[in-house]
Amino acid sequence: MAAPLILRRELFSLVKILGGISQLGPRGLGACSNHRKCSQTRFELLQRPNSFFHTAAYLSSTPFPITVTDEPDTLFQKVVVLIKAHDRAVLDSYEFFATMAAKELGITMGKVFEPPKDIEKLTLLKSVHIYKKHRVQYEMRTHYRSIELLHVTGCTAQVYLEYIQRNLPEGLAMEVSKTAMEKIPDHILEPMWKDLPIDDKSSK
Amino acid sequence: MATSLSSTGSARLLTALARSSLLYSSFQSRSFHATAVCCKNRAARIRIGKGDKPLTYEQALHPHHIAHRKGWLSQHTSNLKGEQGAAERTVEDVFIRKFMFGTFHGCLANEVVIKRRGNVLVVCALMLQKMTPQRFYFFIGYSEALLSHFYKCPVKLEIQTLQEKAVYKYV
Repeated sequence: MAAPLILRRELFSLVKILGGISQLGPRGLGACSNHRKCSQTRFELLQRPNSFFHTAAYLSSTPFPITVTDEPDTLFQKVVVLIKAHDRAVLDSYEFFATMAAKELGITMGKVFEPPKDIEKLTLLKSVHIYKKHRVQYEMRTHYRSIELLHVTGCTAQVYLEYIQRNLPEGLAMEVSKTAMEKIPDHILEPMWKDLPIDDKSSK
Repeated sequence: MATSLSSTGSARLLTALARSSLLYSSFQSRSFHATAVCCKNRAARIRIGKGDKPLTYEQALHPHHIAHRKGWLSQHTSNLKGEQGAAERTVEDVFIRKFMFGTFHGCLANEVVIKRRGNVLVVCALMLQKMTPQRFYFFIGYSEALLSHFYKCPVKLEIQTLQEKAVYKYV
C-alpha cells in the first residue's frame, strides 16, 4: 500500500535531481584562482534557484567528463586547509577522515595541528527593565584544525579538496590557502653584472 | 524510650509556640520584603514539579549543558569567528520551526533539528504516528516544495516516527 507510493516518489525525485544537477559545470566545487602566488579561497556554494528540487535519500550526481589539456599543471608548494567548528568531537573525526583520504591518495602531509580556540563572550542584562547588577554571559567557542599538504599538483589538489568539501559536515567552515610555485622569468635568470664590464669598456 | 517521648513532646510544644508567635507577629507587623526578581536563571528551564510531567532529554537538560551533554538544534557556520549571515540564518530557523509546528500539528515529538550542508537545508524531525503514512508523505512533499520556493535552495525533510514521545524523566 505504502510501498508503491514510496517507489514512485523516489523515481520521480531521482529524475528531477538528474535533470537539475546536469546544469552544474565540472568545476562547481573547490574552484581556485591559479594566477596568484598565494591565494585564499573560501568554501561557499552559490545559492542556486532550485525551486523544482524534490528530495531523495541521497544527492546523486552525474560523473563529470575527464578533460585533457596541454597546458602545464600548477604546482603548489603548500595547501593549508583550516577548518572551524563549534564542536571538537566533529573536528576530530573530520581530521581523521581527511588525513586518511590524503594517505590513501598518496599526498604528502605536513603539519596537522590544532590552533588555539577563540571564545567570543557577550555580557547582557538579565532583566528586561532595571536590575543592572544582574547580568548574563553568553559565549561562542570556535575550535580550529589545520591540515597542511606539501608539494601537490593542481589536479591532485582539486580532486582532494573536492572530495573533502563534498563530505564536509554541517556546522563546519573551511578556509583553503594555496601557495603556488612559478617558474622564474627568463630576464631574472642571468645576473645583471655580467653585462656591465662590457658596457664600461665600450664607453671608455 | 521515655527520653525520646519527652523530646518529641517538647518539640511539639515548641512548634505550637512558634506558630502562635508567628500568627501573633503577622497581625502586628507586616513587612514588605523585596528581592531582585531575576536572581535565578529561567531560560529554557522547566522547573521541578510533583513528578507527573514527562520531559524529553532536550527539555530536561538546561542550556548550560549545551556542548557538554546536549547538542545543537540548529547547525550552521554563521556563528563561527569571521563568518557572516548569523541573523538571516536565525530568522530562517525561527520561520522553519513555526512552519513545521503548524503543518504537522500535534505530531511533533521533539524539537526540530535544522542542518545546513552547503546549499542544502536539512530539516530533521521526530513525529508521532498520529496520521496515516499517505498524509505524512503529502505533508512532507508539500513542506519541502514550499520551503524550497521560499528559500531558493534545496530543502530536505528527514522524518522519523515514534509511537509515543520518548520520555527521559518525570518532573
